[in-house]
Order: sequence, then structure tokens, then C-alpha cells
Amino acid sequence: MIDFLNYLINGTLTGLLYALIAMGFVVIYRASKVFNFAQGELVVFGGYMVWWTTIQLGLPLWLGIPLAFAAAAVFGLTIERIFFARLVGESVFSMVMVTIGLLILIRGLVLVLFGPQSRAFPVVFPLQPISVGDIIISQSMLYGGLLTIAIGIFLSWFFNRTRAGLRMTAVAEDHQVAMSMGISVQRSIAFAWLLGAVLSTMGAMVHLSGRSINMLSSDIGLAALPVALLAGLESLGGLLLAGVIVGVVQGLASAYLDPLVGGAIGTVIPFIIMLLVLLIRPTGMFGWKTIERV
Amino acid sequence: MDPAGIFATTFSKDQALVRTRPQAVALALLIALLFALPLLADLRVVAVMTSMFITAVVVLGLQINTGLAGQINLGQAAFMGVGAYSTALLATKAALPFWLAMPLGGMAAALFGLIFGLTAVRIKGFYLALTTIAAQILFHFLVLNLPSSWMGGANGITLQPASLPGLAFDSDRSIYYLCLVVTLVMVVGAYGVARSRHGRAFYAVRDDDVASGIMGIDVVRTKAMAFLLGAFYAGIGGGLWAYYVRFVAIDQFTLIHSIWFIAMIIVGGIGSVTGALIGVFVIRLSQELISSIGPSLVDSFAFLSGDVVFAAMNVFLGGIIAGFLIFEPRGLMHRWNIVKRFYRLWPYPY
Repeated sequence: MIDFLNYLINGTLTGLLYALIAMGFVVIYRASKVFNFAQGELVVFGGYMVWWTTIQLGLPLWLGIPLAFAAAAVFGLTIERIFFARLVGESVFSMVMVTIGLLILIRGLVLVLFGPQSRAFPVVFPLQPISVGDIIISQSMLYGGLLTIAIGIFLSWFFNRTRAGLRMTAVAEDHQVAMSMGISVQRSIAFAWLLGAVLSTMGAMVHLSGRSINMLSSDIGLAALPVALLAGLESLGGLLLAGVIVGVVQGLASAYLDPLVGGAIGTVIPFIIMLLVLLIRPTGMFGWKTIERV
Repeated sequence: MDPAGIFATTFSKDQALVRTRPQAVALALLIALLFALPLLADLRVVAVMTSMFITAVVVLGLQINTGLAGQINLGQAAFMGVGAYSTALLATKAALPFWLAMPLGGMAAALFGLIFGLTAVRIKGFYLALTTIAAQILFHFLVLNLPSSWMGGANGITLQPASLPGLAFDSDRSIYYLCLVVTLVMVVGAYGVARSRHGRAFYAVRDDDVASGIMGIDVVRTKAMAFLLGAFYAGIGGGLWAYYVRFVAIDQFTLIHSIWFIAMIIVGGIGSVTGALIGVFVIRLSQELISSIGPSLVDSFAFLSGDVVFAAMNVFLGGIIAGFLIFEPRGLMHRWNIVKRFYRLWPYPY
């Protein structure tokens, strides 16, 4: 029983981490209609920014982390300036293909700038786990989870209730229509990438705190896809629920099914969930249903 | 466009791939050159060309799937892997000759692709692309977690060379000919598909699937067909790969490989069979150039390390993909068509 509770709670926290990573992805989709395949690479880049300011430059955390966020924001804006500003008005297809180019590009960039070896990531959250009775919770995951919930609620409010957020929502609906309503698609996309890069850095911080970082850390970006899909690509608040569902199912599956099939079911179960979502309800739990006309 | 004075008077002439005498001569020369290459060039060139042929077959499949039918496919490497594994298993476990194992491997890949293509019944666009990512991940999971006596697990599978009676394809030069012949057949097939009834359905679905559905095209069937064909090509390419390397392992078929395949059709030109071939040639050539120039650069500049050169290749090629999408979304093929139009019209502007 106590094991079960442990799996449940840790699954929930892992799920919230996925939700945080997926948030970077959904924010970009929600403000620009671009499906960002380079999400994992953004996370790694953000992570290296944190590593660079705190370990390489030796700045204290309270200074280094905001600096890393600023650097990530600049990086996001640069991406928008170099690539997407030129593509406004082009088909969404080419924008998405550009993110595939970005995926390769950022990989190379990270290797050139930081080298292929694993680097120790700074301890942002205390390493000492909290134990309540027999339940053991890692502090980074706990604070990360709380952070995720706060950000999720805030972003959900921002995109659904404020003028600026609704403007971006219109861009996600249709570029051309948004433009003809006098909304700047370019500014919306710029904001999307800025926010996406910052959120990814935050995700990297929670995910990697006290561990090590290398290019393989980008796998978390793939793991976040099923969460985004289960929530529905347009929903930010729904990510929290979807993250918890995926995390708990994954946690329980790897605890109880792994011994039966010889491991690794935990890594594949999110994608099975993703396939099921795609087959049964492609719009996810809270996504928009679009009606198509010719 | 055709040069001045060439008019198609029959439908078959209008559909012909080779339209003028100089084209026929150039094509014959190219094929003769390809057949003569192992006798003229050194082994390194032959090996690079062989890998280009294999990649070309896989990328042609992707071109049919993504370029002609408009279905984004991020799992082409997994389909190739299914083909390679099936071919390897059929060749080792069932001891089938290669001319049976390879088509069967292609069909296995086609079936695997079809399963994911059938999700098109309910979803489209980028959602469909996601199922292909899932295909990629499921493929890895299955190979690594099924008992290693089935799929070789993490150890991979080792093959005997392909052979015909009295002829074994065990040297670099002989396998080159095998790959060349198979590739030629597949290229002709791809041109055939592109101008067939299915090809026209693919174009219609790519341009607007709702409209083409209203016009009477079975959209789901067409998309499934695109996946089936694309994955079949990938499977044949995988089979060639299995016989070329004679060792099949899971890390030869990763998501990054799929992304490279997409990069090739972007650079060559989305929606053109010739473009796919050009893309493969250009990207593989630049990869080869960078990796062969790289070591000498490392020698002459002490501050560079081999990793940096490898990484710089990623930056360079990622930049190329993005650059092509921004400045020439229709790829090199479109550029070439502009040039061709210019010299055919010269000295007149129109």
C-alpha cells in the first residue's frame, strides 16, 4: 500500500514535470500555430544556459538563474528574428519544417558551444528528499510541481482572459484572419518563442537540478508530446491534468508491468497513450474542435 | 517546359519522361557512367555511391509519402528499420535468398507503415506526423524488449552476403551493382507512381484533402496508399542496407535519421522525384566532404577538435534546411527548372 502511494505521488510529480516541458511547446503552438519539433533541444539549450551562468561563470544562483532566463529569452527572440519573421504569410507547413531544421541546428550549436561531454548541473533545489512517514519525495520535483501548477494557472488565465492572450489565440486560429483583424502575427510569434524558451529553461532547471546535462537530456522533449496531446494542443490548464494522468500511468506501469515484460515499458507507455488519444479523440481532452470548410 | 519545336501529339508522348533526343543521350550516358564507376573510381567513392543509392530508395519513399501526398512522416527510419530487420530475419532464420527476402522485407515495412497510415481515418496534418514519431519509438521498444532470440535485441543481427548462383555480392564493387540495379528499378517505379492515377490522387489530397474528398477521391484510402508505398520503399532500402552492411542494429534507424531524410527532400525539392535524388546527392556529398575535410582541418588548427567539426556539420546542415525553407522552399529542383527554362528560351525572354 505504501509502495503504491509512493508510486502515485512520484508519478504525479513526474507528470507535472512533463506538463512543464509540454507548456513550452503548447505556448508556442497556442500563440503561433507552429508545431515545435525542437522542444527537447530548447530544453537542453536552456539547461546549458543555466550551467553556463552558474557553474562556468560561477555566479550565485539568485543572479545566475535570472541571467539564464534572460539569455534563453534572447535566444528565443533570435530564433524568431532569423527564421520565423521571414516566414510570416508562408504556409504553416514550412514553419513546422523549419523547426525540424532548428532541431538539427540547435543540436550542433550546443555541441560547438558546450562540447559533447556530460556537465554537472547546479543544485537549484536542495538534494535532500522530504520524507513524510514512508513516502519519499524529491524536493526538486515537489517545488517544480508547485511551480508548474502556478504557471499553468497563470498561463491559462493569460491566454483565455487577457486582451494580449486572446490576440495570440486568434493567431493560433488562423494567421490570415488574425492579420486582417489588425493583429501582428509576427509579434505574436516572437512572444511565443520568447516564452517557449524561458519555460523550457525552467523545465530544464527542474528536470536536471543536481544531475548532469548532455545532449541526451533532449529526450524529455519527446516525453512531453503525449502530455500535450492528451490535454489537447491548445489547452494550457489541461496540461496539468494530462500530465498527472500520464505520469501516474507511467509510474504505475513501470512499477507493476516492468517485471513482467523485462523493463522499459515506462518509457513507451506515454506513446501508447498518445497513439490511443490520436485514434480515439485526436483533439485531446480540452483541445479545440475545428470544422473544416473548403 | 519543352524546347521550341517539340510538340506532344499523343497522350503517351505528353506523359513521356524522356522528351528529347539530348535527354535520352544524357540519360544513357549517366547510366553507363554509373555502371562503369566501380571500374574507374576508387573504393571510397564506390562506397559513398552505394550508400547514396540506398538512401535514395528510402528518400524516394518519403518523397512519395510527404512530397506527393503531403503526409508528414517522421518515422521513415523506423520503416527502413522494419524492412532491414525483416530482411535480415528472413535471410538468417528462414534462409531465403535475397531476391525473396528483400521484397518480403519491403512488404513487412509496408504493412507496418500501413498500420500507422490507417490512423489517417481520424486524424490529419501534424497529428498524423505524431503517430509516425510514435512508430519510431514503438519500433525501438519492440526490437530492444522482445526476446533477443527473436530480433537480436541490442546485439543486432549479422547476415551472410547476398548471392545468386555463381555470384556472391560480398565485395564493395559487387554490392554496388546490386544497389544500383535495385535503385534504378525503384526510381522508374517512383516516376511511374508520380504520373499514375494514384499519383494524381496524391497531388489532389496534398493540395486540399477536403476538396479532393468532395471530388470523389477516397481520401483515407489515398493516404493509406501513400504510407504503404512510402514504407515499401523504405523497406526495400532497409533490405539493401542489411545486405550492404551485413549487420543490422537498432541505432542505425533513429529519429535523427528520419529527420535527415526529410532534410534531403526539402533541399532537393518537395514533390519532385528528381528533386529527391538531387537532395540525397547534395546532402550526402556535403556530409562526406565535411567528414573528409574535417580531420585535415583539425590537424591544421590545433584549437579545433573532431567533435567541433562534427557539430559544425550539424549547424551547417540545420542552417541549410532552414535557409532553403526561407529562401527557396521549392528546393534545388525549382532552381534547376528556372535555369532550364532560361536556356531553352534564350535569347527570348518569354
